[in-house]
Amino acid sequence: MSWWLHAVPAEPLGHRAAHADALLLAALAPFRPTLAFTTVDCSTPVSRLAVTALVTGPRDGLVLGGRAEEVEGPPAEGRCIRFPGQDALTGVHAAGAIVAESAVEEVVGVGVPVAASDLVDTQAFLRPTLMDGRLVLLVERAAGGVLRPIESPDPHECCGGH
Amino acid sequence: MSHDHDHHHHEAAEWHEDEDDRPLSVARRRFLAGLGIAAAGTTALAGPAAAHEDRRPVNPWGARDRWFAGDHHIHTKYSPDGQYEVAQQVAKAREHGLDWVVITDHGGVAHQKFSVDLVAPDIEKARAQHRGTLVYQGLEWNIPGAEHATVFLPPGRSTVDILRAFEAAYDGGVLSTPVDRGGKGLIARATSADGEPYALAALRYLEAQVLSGRTEIALMFANHPARRGVDSPHEIRGWRDAAPGVAVGMEGAPGHQAAGLATGRAGARGFYEASPNQDSFPGYAPTATENPYRTYGGFDWMTAKVGGLWDSLLAEGRPWWVTATSDSHQNHLDTFAPGTGDHNTTGTRGAPVDTGKPQVYGDYWPGFYSSTLVGAASRSYVDVMRGLQGGKVLAVHGRLVDGLDLRVRSDLDGRGVTVGGRTFVTRGADVEVTIEVRLAMRPNFGGSIPRLAKVDLIGGPVTGPTADRDSFSAPHTSVLKTFEVARTARGTVRFTHTFRNVDNAFYLRLRGSDGNRLTSDGGPVMDVVGDADPWTDLWFYANPVFIDVV
Repeated sequence: MSWWLHAVPAEPLGHRAAHADALLLAALAPFRPTLAFTTVDCSTPVSRLAVTALVTGPRDGLVLGGRAEEVEGPPAEGRCIRFPGQDALTGVHAAGAIVAESAVEEVVGVGVPVAASDLVDTQAFLRPTLMDGRLVLLVERAAGGVLRPIESPDPHECCGGH
Repeated sequence: MSHDHDHHHHEAAEWHEDEDDRPLSVARRRFLAGLGIAAAGTTALAGPAAAHEDRRPVNPWGARDRWFAGDHHIHTKYSPDGQYEVAQQVAKAREHGLDWVVITDHGGVAHQKFSVDLVAPDIEKARAQHRGTLVYQGLEWNIPGAEHATVFLPPGRSTVDILRAFEAAYDGGVLSTPVDRGGKGLIARATSADGEPYALAALRYLEAQVLSGRTEIALMFANHPARRGVDSPHEIRGWRDAAPGVAVGMEGAPGHQAAGLATGRAGARGFYEASPNQDSFPGYAPTATENPYRTYGGFDWMTAKVGGLWDSLLAEGRPWWVTATSDSHQNHLDTFAPGTGDHNTTGTRGAPVDTGKPQVYGDYWPGFYSSTLVGAASRSYVDVMRGLQGGKVLAVHGRLVDGLDLRVRSDLDGRGVTVGGRTFVTRGADVEVTIEVRLAMRPNFGGSIPRLAKVDLIGGPVTGPTADRDSFSAPHTSVLKTFEVARTARGTVRFTHTFRNVDNAFYLRLRGSDGNRLTSDGGPVMDVVGDADPWTDLWFYANPVFIDVV
């Protein structure tokens, strides 16, 4: 059966988003979630990255430093690192196709209108966000007349990301 | 301690002098800041409330100042991600017309242990070799709980000692590195919120060095403030209030301006390609209308957005200045690559290696594209720093302007004040603004003569300290007037504007553009990642003038 798991990893995850996401998903093993969100846990003076995921299987055998718990449902806001249809969206796809073929409900441009036929270069890294209960992918203008997600898998880090 | 308004200026000076690093002092400052008293209770750079008591105009027009071009953000082989010799950077800065430079290698365990002492003799040598160019020793400080910042001092007997002690006690990298790796292990991450009190203590430490006479002046500018969203509005206000003589501004435009070239790194202009992380201020959120994590016309969103964060500070009457720097680490099409030294264990990457082949990098040499013009009476270390402290500062890209003469006059101040200044008008009287701009006559380093297409006069009411320390909007600030520059204009162009029947305190500031990339309302366009040619999108920003009504 499926249930929502919320966990705060004990180990720091480093600076690179793609790397941190991979660690989070790996830490959920043996579960392979169908939906997973990162959220920021501000309940302590030092904020922590947390993960809330829809998983299937028994409720034991978790790593994550033992700080996992069952919650009632998805977070109110969150950054989606795993969603149905994600694996097929690695290249350049029309915005309409992204909505039609995945859990993404809307592709929204930052300061630019998006038509269903507009092409999005996904860079194999889609991180839609949960906004008012809807999964929205924010995109921006990119070189070559296409759009790209506003989040990069590996943004430039100055001085090792201090 | 009384909170009587008539006396708070005097009392502010008292607790200001008492500043030290004791926790009590942190708590007291927070208490005062919460009441909005700290904002007005500054000393030399008094807010409008204090100005009522002392009606001397600040930054009078017509002083015998000259513009001195410089750059407060330059790296060398003493940064783990830098590569150049100090001598190379200084020689190139000079070649590109800079009068002053600040060497700012990254703070951290190895830098504090080795580099801060290694760089000092190199700087001395560069000063001797290039008399006439001011070379300051500084630090790119990891502000605990926030972004990076330039910290620097004029040359003096205690300069290196102060920088070394400052870095040991207050650098976010040193504080967050575990003890077994040579750090202090006192905060979780360089940018986590548990670092915030250390940042305030750090700035008060610098101010204490000035007050005790160990250095004549010390300055801090927040670098690339919106890049990762970790400089929250309350932190910026906190820095300013903690040490108003030291924490005076931020990079209006970050460096790395070559990073967006389609023919180069094809990254984001300024390397502004991040998105929110766990330490980002939640209010800085990308939406359908804006992305705070990108540059706009090469400038940081906090500065570029009219009615945005910068304006929210100015609308409080809070002096806060903007600059433009190179953040030079590795310069586009230069042939050098990093040396083979181990920075971690020696504090230097060693002499850079000439590959003989132009390399694709994201930065420009100091002075090649970005300059911070400072109005100062002389080319001296302290005078240039006083100009920066007083906001006589223009942030310029691609030599769009070589200088600017702003004069703001009123019935009470016939001489008037200039950029960064403060003046007074009788309620109901007029304020006259005169702007003279010398148009560029020579090509810039992009190879063309930049053409100024327009100057915007921006302004809004000064409404005093805000109750919400995390406010980052000034809804009543707007572009008040746009002056077009005729295509045929040569030499100097002159514009005037009169504010009639002024009945409320206000501020004004200027920005100018080459007109190549404008939104429908005349503002800068969000830079496109991988396709941002900085030479075809030039802007300048001038710092504000405050006008009080009496």
